[in-house]
Amino acid sequence: MIGTFEILMNLEDGETAQKGINANEVVIAISPAFGKELNKTIVKVDHGKVLREIVSGIEEQGALPRIIRSYHTADLAFMGHQAAKLSGSGIGIGLQSRGTTVIHQKDLDPLSNLELFPQSPSITLETYRAIGKNGALYALGESVDPVPSVNDQMARPRYQAIAALLHLREAEQVIKNKKPVEVQWNFTIKEEEN
Amino acid sequence: MAKEILAGIDIGNSTTEIAIADVSGREPVFLSQHLVPTTGVKGTAENIQGITACLEKAVKKAELAISDLTRIRLNDAVPVIGDLAMDLISETIITESSMIGHNPDTPGGGGIGTGETILINELADQRHDTDYIVVVPETCDYEWVAYMINRCVKNGISVKGAIIQKDDGVLVHNRLQEKIPIVDEVAFIEKVPLHKPAAVEVALSGHVIRMLSNPYGLATVFGLSPEETRQIAPVAKSLVGIRSAVVIRTPQGEIVERKIEAGSITLVGDKDSVTVPINDGAKRIMNAYKNIGNLIDVQGEMGTNVGGMLNGLRQDLAHLTGQASRDIHISDMLAVDSGIPTSISGAMAGEIAMEQGVALASMVKTEKLSVHKVADLLQKQLNVEVEVGGIEAEMAMRGALTTPGTEQPLVILDMGGGSTDAAAIDLKGQITTAHLAGAGDMVTLIIKSELALEDIDLAEKIKKYPLGKVISLFHMQLEDGTISFTETPYAPETFGKVVIREESGLTPLPIRDSLEKVRHVRREAKRKVFVTNALRALEKVSPTQNLRHLSFVVMLGGSALDFEIPQMITEELSSYSIVAGFANTRGTEGPRNAVATGLILSVTEEVANG
Repeated sequence: MIGTFEILMNLEDGETAQKGINANEVVIAISPAFGKELNKTIVKVDHGKVLREIVSGIEEQGALPRIIRSYHTADLAFMGHQAAKLSGSGIGIGLQSRGTTVIHQKDLDPLSNLELFPQSPSITLETYRAIGKNGALYALGESVDPVPSVNDQMARPRYQAIAALLHLREAEQVIKNKKPVEVQWNFTIKEEEN
Repeated sequence: MAKEILAGIDIGNSTTEIAIADVSGREPVFLSQHLVPTTGVKGTAENIQGITACLEKAVKKAELAISDLTRIRLNDAVPVIGDLAMDLISETIITESSMIGHNPDTPGGGGIGTGETILINELADQRHDTDYIVVVPETCDYEWVAYMINRCVKNGISVKGAIIQKDDGVLVHNRLQEKIPIVDEVAFIEKVPLHKPAAVEVALSGHVIRMLSNPYGLATVFGLSPEETRQIAPVAKSLVGIRSAVVIRTPQGEIVERKIEAGSITLVGDKDSVTVPINDGAKRIMNAYKNIGNLIDVQGEMGTNVGGMLNGLRQDLAHLTGQASRDIHISDMLAVDSGIPTSISGAMAGEIAMEQGVALASMVKTEKLSVHKVADLLQKQLNVEVEVGGIEAEMAMRGALTTPGTEQPLVILDMGGGSTDAAAIDLKGQITTAHLAGAGDMVTLIIKSELALEDIDLAEKIKKYPLGKVISLFHMQLEDGTISFTETPYAPETFGKVVIREESGLTPLPIRDSLEKVRHVRREAKRKVFVTNALRALEKVSPTQNLRHLSFVVMLGGSALDFEIPQMITEELSSYSIVAGFANTRGTEGPRNAVATGLILSVTEEVANG
């Protein structure tokens, strides 16, 4: 009875994002086109699955996930830092449409970070889960083991052009001067009876 | 009269130290000193490399050249070499996988549930009059699992607990309408026997399980007879102190703690010889050691772990000294209990148990080390007269006596990397010495093993520096609980981690153990090696074998520089009313450079005495 199932993601923009007051929360900032104009990562993984893994990782550790959408920038470092600054715990995660991810902390320089996952093609769903988990552990003040990441020398030559294109499409959605907004999310699982 | 510049060189097991002095006058004038790590084993030609590098640095500090040196004096190193070995003595084996006991970070729910194990995809077709424990392999998504359980429970099937392969415990639990205890991260879930009575227990955060870790609790849960309770008792024992567990009752299931045939060692002394099984642990071995008089040799039982361990040691030492391995006699041995992380065979969640192990440090007397050969080589290379000076202990004593506030009679305790040496001088100037196995390197080995580190350099750093826990980028908790603030933020990779506070910066530890745990392991390792050895050494050199008859103890050597070892020993010895502290050679050098200083002082005294 373990059938195949599909995860449907529904994201809805809300009000301008406020600074959180819950010390257990981890804020995820998604890029302007995430789950909208673009809905798959650079290796064609559904945005729904990716975001759900991160959210699940945070929840499993007992922290509280919150999602915001960045409009004024699609730059990973600034998105992550923005999320961290709005997070009650000071921990934020930046997530771009092509899958690149960063874990950030509010007191760091924007171009610095706690953990960076720069090679989007080699990030698996398990890694996204672990990223969520680590974000939560940082927020809860526990000792953290960095998420192991693979380094693939071939990723650059193979994906650089696609990455540039994806970023271009992402950047087209940037709205200057628009503040990040809260995102209401829900995931529905559709069972495909066999 | 021409200037006479002298260099005293002390080649130790781990460091080579040099002092340079102008000895033309009545009193030697110390010009400079330097130290480098010893290259090669002490007393071998490989030392030359380290010596020359060190000399160059030292003469440069004194603004001289090597050619300005009139003479070089080497210490007559004590012909003892130490080595280390470590081995397991116990092992836990689970036969007929009958239990899972582990500490996943985040199990779900709380409480205890009992029922029959059943795969989740068969759950919907089960009878309504039995309780079930659901087994969930990693192919199942948590949302689906929760949906499935909720639906079946609604249909009247009784679900009392769950065992999940992935780290999904909390996620499933949050989505259940009827809450049940859930154990997750069970790596080898395919080994869980199905259709068998099982119990799942999860304790709330910060608590430990109570029912399954109690033999009578197990008897209650499974309705066991007294005979069966006796059989299952080891299961309860192995579940003590953990947060979540599953016990599945299989007819043959049992768990045993097997003692590995580690063998026994025979301590041969001049009064008596005693055979002790290694399994009895370090304490028994060291007690036996006390009763045999002076140790002549140690033999390991052939064909056992310890036999292999001691043989390996002999081979190493034979190779180093160039003697036949049957001529190698162990002159001192220190056994220390140590935990060795080992994966439990037959376990279902990849559990790791801290098994008992014994670390052995041993010391071998060799024929005279070839210091003279080193001296000849050095003379040829540098074109400076090289002589071999006095006995190491005597030189160290002379150096130590330059510490302000010391006088004869005195005991020095030289705590280095490879050995702990003691020497006592009485009022008449008679010197007694003792060379004991086990020092800084052994501490490093124990720290590495107990914290399951892969990197020996990291263990070395943990030994040397205090710890901290970085709480935010601007503040850190120190070992004593105080908080230290900084204006320049800490490096991002240290955020949230336990760090080693070196002078040069912070090194984050790649392990999840708490600050307190790491500190405890470090301090215990030091105590087990250095405090034990300090007492042993002092007993040996004390003229009456009674520590109370000693009054001054001066600590020397690299380990005396440690931030806590001298305090531990001072504290321990103060109960024998002994004044103990680390040396301050020449009032400036701390516990370093004593032998090199002694080498120079001995020359000027020779001159003065004609």
